[in-house]
Amino acid sequence: MNRRLLVGLFLLQAGALAAQSTSDTPVAVIVAGPQVGERAPDFSLPWSTREVTGGDPWFSLSAQRGRVVVVAFYPRDFTSGCTAEMKTFADQYADLFGEDVAVVGISTDSLATHRRFAEELGLPFQLLSDPDQVVSKKYGSADPAGYNRRTVFVLGRDGKVAYDDRRFGALDPKAYERLKDAVQEVRKAGASH
Amino acid sequence: MKLIWIAGCALLCVAATAAAAAQDLGLPVGTDAPRPAVKDLDGKPVDLGQWIGRKPVLIEFWATWCENCEALLPKLTSARTRVGDRVEFIGINVTVNQTPDRVRRYMAQHELPFRVLYDTDGASVRAFAAPATSYVVLIDRGGKILYTGVGPDQEFDASLARAAGISH
Repeated sequence: MNRRLLVGLFLLQAGALAAQSTSDTPVAVIVAGPQVGERAPDFSLPWSTREVTGGDPWFSLSAQRGRVVVVAFYPRDFTSGCTAEMKTFADQYADLFGEDVAVVGISTDSLATHRRFAEELGLPFQLLSDPDQVVSKKYGSADPAGYNRRTVFVLGRDGKVAYDDRRFGALDPKAYERLKDAVQEVRKAGASH
Repeated sequence: MKLIWIAGCALLCVAATAAAAAQDLGLPVGTDAPRPAVKDLDGKPVDLGQWIGRKPVLIEFWATWCENCEALLPKLTSARTRVGDRVEFIGINVTVNQTPDRVRRYMAQHELPFRVLYDTDGASVRAFAAPATSYVVLIDRGGKILYTGVGPDQEFDASLARAAGISH
């Protein structure tokens, strides 16, 4: 009984902390997935673009070695925040990333939905489909509710995480500035090797 | 030892869920509205505190490229016609993928039912945890958040009437 009481008290405290975190400054920050400086977990996923539904072969991270890669996890196609984020990526692609950078968006949406979303926004990059959140879990970007959290990772040419934003603000101009700076820094670092 | 490990995991899981849930939902109803520093289209500082806590305020976070925002315009226009003498209507442009000139051109083509502000560094987006454009925040006279919503089909009429102190 004492053990059950102990566990119950822990759970009550956890609930109190969680409730507080929604109305005040978060009391706990959970950082799962690869950290800056660590090797990014490899993955392979099917993709669509504005022109192709389910391209072949699948997108493979290990096949990108030698390129700077930006991996953006996002909740859902066609939702307001994701539309803002992806449209900004598309409209400012050259400024934010540059032609030699591989950019991919990952959500749980189907390949057909990805195609429509990419077509509507004119996205110049691939959208990867991860319906079971296999990859987003590896990157600490899976929400238990079944969609991805909005996170961004910049991976260097060596395949290591060079920058991450675990709470990317789709409407926050500073978030895009930080991302742009990070990409430029990684591109420069790679070019000097 | 095993039980402590289980309880610890439970603590981490609940906290992680809360953090994730808070990411895309905006500020909770009933909390005090923040008063971040924003600017107008000419770059002049604007103090939101001149309205928040002094009279009811409706804020929409918007952008010229936001289709939901454009779809919401008739409803906001109608609302301002009804209660614009009692409620301050403010449209904070999120400035992502925007320029002041682009906003001015849009304003020349659309009659916007709110005072347009321009959040150059995203201070208000962060302060209000704005998850998306078309995000509407209604604040009562005392500075408490009364309503939040996103999208083209929002139902804020009842809350707006309450804020304005009129029967709906």
